[in-house]
Amino acid sequence: MVRLLDGVKVFELGIAIASPNAGRLLAHHGAEVYKIESPTSPDIVRMIGSAWLRDNEELAPATPDSSPYVSEMNADKRSVALDLKRPEGRDAARRLLAECDVFLANFGARALTELGLDYASVKEVRPDIVYVQLPGFGSEPDTPYYPFVAWGPNQAPLVGIDDLTGHAGREPAGIATVAPPDYLSSLHAAFCVLTGLEERERSGEGVHVDIAQFETTVSLLLGPFVMDHALTGNVQSRIGNRSLWYAPEGVYPCRGEERWIAISVVDDDAWAALLTLAPAEWADDERFASNEARLANVEALDDAVAAWTVGFSSTDLAARLQEAGVAAHIVATNEDLLQDKQVMESGWYQARPSARFTRDLFSTFPIRMTETPGRWERGGPSTGEHTVEVLTGTVGMSETEVADLVEGGAAFTMDRPDLRVDRPYEDWLHILFPQDAVDGRDL
Amino acid sequence: MSRPFEGVKVVDLSGLAGSYATRMLAALGAEVLKIEPPTGSPLRRMSPFIDGAREPEHSLWWAYLAMGTHSAVVDLDDEGDRARLAAALATADVVIDDHGPDVLDGFGVGYRATGEINPGVIWVSISAFGLEGPKRSWTSSNLVAWAASGVLYTTGFDDQPPVVPAGPAQMGMHATALNAAIGAVLGLRGRRLTGRGQLVDLSLAETCLAFSPETGVPVFLDDRVHRVRAGNRRTLSRPFGIYPCSDGFVSILVLMPRHWESMAEWVHEVCDNESIIDPVFADMAVRGQTMELVDGWVEELTTSMTLLEFFQEGQRRGIPITPVNTVETLLIDPHLEAVDYWDKVELPDGGDATIPGPSFRTNQGWWSLGRAPRLGEHTTDLPVV
Repeated sequence: MVRLLDGVKVFELGIAIASPNAGRLLAHHGAEVYKIESPTSPDIVRMIGSAWLRDNEELAPATPDSSPYVSEMNADKRSVALDLKRPEGRDAARRLLAECDVFLANFGARALTELGLDYASVKEVRPDIVYVQLPGFGSEPDTPYYPFVAWGPNQAPLVGIDDLTGHAGREPAGIATVAPPDYLSSLHAAFCVLTGLEERERSGEGVHVDIAQFETTVSLLLGPFVMDHALTGNVQSRIGNRSLWYAPEGVYPCRGEERWIAISVVDDDAWAALLTLAPAEWADDERFASNEARLANVEALDDAVAAWTVGFSSTDLAARLQEAGVAAHIVATNEDLLQDKQVMESGWYQARPSARFTRDLFSTFPIRMTETPGRWERGGPSTGEHTVEVLTGTVGMSETEVADLVEGGAAFTMDRPDLRVDRPYEDWLHILFPQDAVDGRDL
Repeated sequence: MSRPFEGVKVVDLSGLAGSYATRMLAALGAEVLKIEPPTGSPLRRMSPFIDGAREPEHSLWWAYLAMGTHSAVVDLDDEGDRARLAAALATADVVIDDHGPDVLDGFGVGYRATGEINPGVIWVSISAFGLEGPKRSWTSSNLVAWAASGVLYTTGFDDQPPVVPAGPAQMGMHATALNAAIGAVLGLRGRRLTGRGQLVDLSLAETCLAFSPETGVPVFLDDRVHRVRAGNRRTLSRPFGIYPCSDGFVSILVLMPRHWESMAEWVHEVCDNESIIDPVFADMAVRGQTMELVDGWVEELTTSMTLLEFFQEGQRRGIPITPVNTVETLLIDPHLEAVDYWDKVELPDGGDATIPGPSFRTNQGWWSLGRAPRLGEHTTDLPVV
């Protein structure tokens, strides 16, 4: 089947999530995405390998390929390993760029300029390039934070959303497990790449898009609260799990250690539905008689709900609430996801071979195009796995030229291609994923 | 210079889960018609409200998210209104619908009927858990979607219930809308290539799941570590997370060797600490194992400085440090002011307000947005049938 981005070539200088998560969407839909990296300047995800490998002398060379994020963020990309600090490496990169439609990077703006990969320089090589960059603070020199370093996890505090996370009256809990601004920026980047490609079809011109994570995330998430502050001086801060608009909404304890349920009673219909299951006296309690009353008496209401939920199994109660028409879900742990049929049987997780692993497991994308679905073929690449293939094929270098680059340390090929490893779950993956979508292998 | 979506007709049948998509499409030139019930979009009932503005033109959510769009009132219980909506859908390029499985089909104005007469339509369906699977009839909210993702469980302090990331900002809703915008452009590309439109199946649950690989199955099956709520600092290494200053909080993220060298040198200089520069701490795994010790040393430095001092001096030393901002500190941030980030917008019922600027900048003048419409201001845009 035709894929939407067949024939599109993407030059990606990506680290961690913000750029790679956009690149992987493009790869999923058929683009050839060249992940430019090197053992001398590795993507951070190559530095946090699996513990079970790191401590095994024989398998240790596979460590840089072993973080699950390598495939989560880079499945189906081609790794072209070049040392961009060497002139020969830069020259090879420029020759590859001349063949590319899209430039995608979340290197800092200053670093890109130093590498000769700022928009003006790239445009000389490829005049109609769709150039999308995600610098923390924008690509305009002579601005106050231009030289500052900003990585995903401390963008959340910067853009104001860590302050919005946590219980009222307590220090900010922050968002410690994931870095939402990275993902949010990556989605803007994917949108801009796709839009830039369509616009180029129409106008013949490329575009330079600057996604300053600082600005982008504030624009996405804080509009109403910024306006409110500008108009009234009001500062919206964290309010736990409560809603500004309806009650009850919260995370309530259930039976067992650390078992919780999230419940959102979004309107009067949902409240009526809740009453079909809840203690009878709630229906006659004036404090809970309307949404307005429930918001005004939210402390008492939350206490009543918590005293009720604690007698139930979270899984059973969530199913009963949903059956009645109330939005609810167990607060899932990572183990719980393994029991979640919606997730496990929907093809959300995909297992594919990679150069290093018999099968590697990663997530698909939530945008399910029913007529032109994407496709996953391979897990994430090993560093330099495709250097020779891409430099001789796409760029058209001779094998001798490439060999000279490798010899001179300006390009790299995959380390220990003979070393093939099984993930710890290799033998029983089919038990977890009963659907046949896992990898086409006869399970 | 042209704007990418000039001439593209979008019908918005969504509330919060789709509005950022149509705002962005409108900013890039699309003609967006928001369909509202006679009582108004659910966004119009979301506080904060504008003092003195008339209902239903007083919501700041509406004033921000509906910018650049048109508003038409449609009563789905009225046959004539349904026919006019169907006629608008018949010529739409993109439809964003967050009613969930089967709802609009029940009124004869869903994808089933529209796709028949308008095979080129790109219909982006936003639902709670997707159009298929055991939870297709379940409903959701921002909170519920984060609960299902695994991330909620790991957010917060261990002596309190888990807490939703970004709370009142409704991040899961906006992220879903972003995916809707991507689905729309993918669909437009598909139509250019194949001549046909399609249904795009998008859920709040999978949108949040896609932000959550850290609590996802591939990570868990590889390391078998149960993820817990660890408060506002990360377990991977230290210093990594939120640290107190004399007048607020800062975020420090030290993973790379060069960042640690600078951090250790700084603490060494200011606090006269000889131990921290011991090479053993250069290994981030060691700092993870000795986190209380390392945090104690770092806090001695952070608490001796103001937020601004610590942020600027840390950045001068090349360490990824940021302030924990609030809307108040953002609005006086010197960088955002210097890059002329803040815009102003006219409010639907008069007056104006400061708003965040464009979500991204282009050299082609893509972005432009006017005020949000008043309820039914463009009902006459609907075809007469």
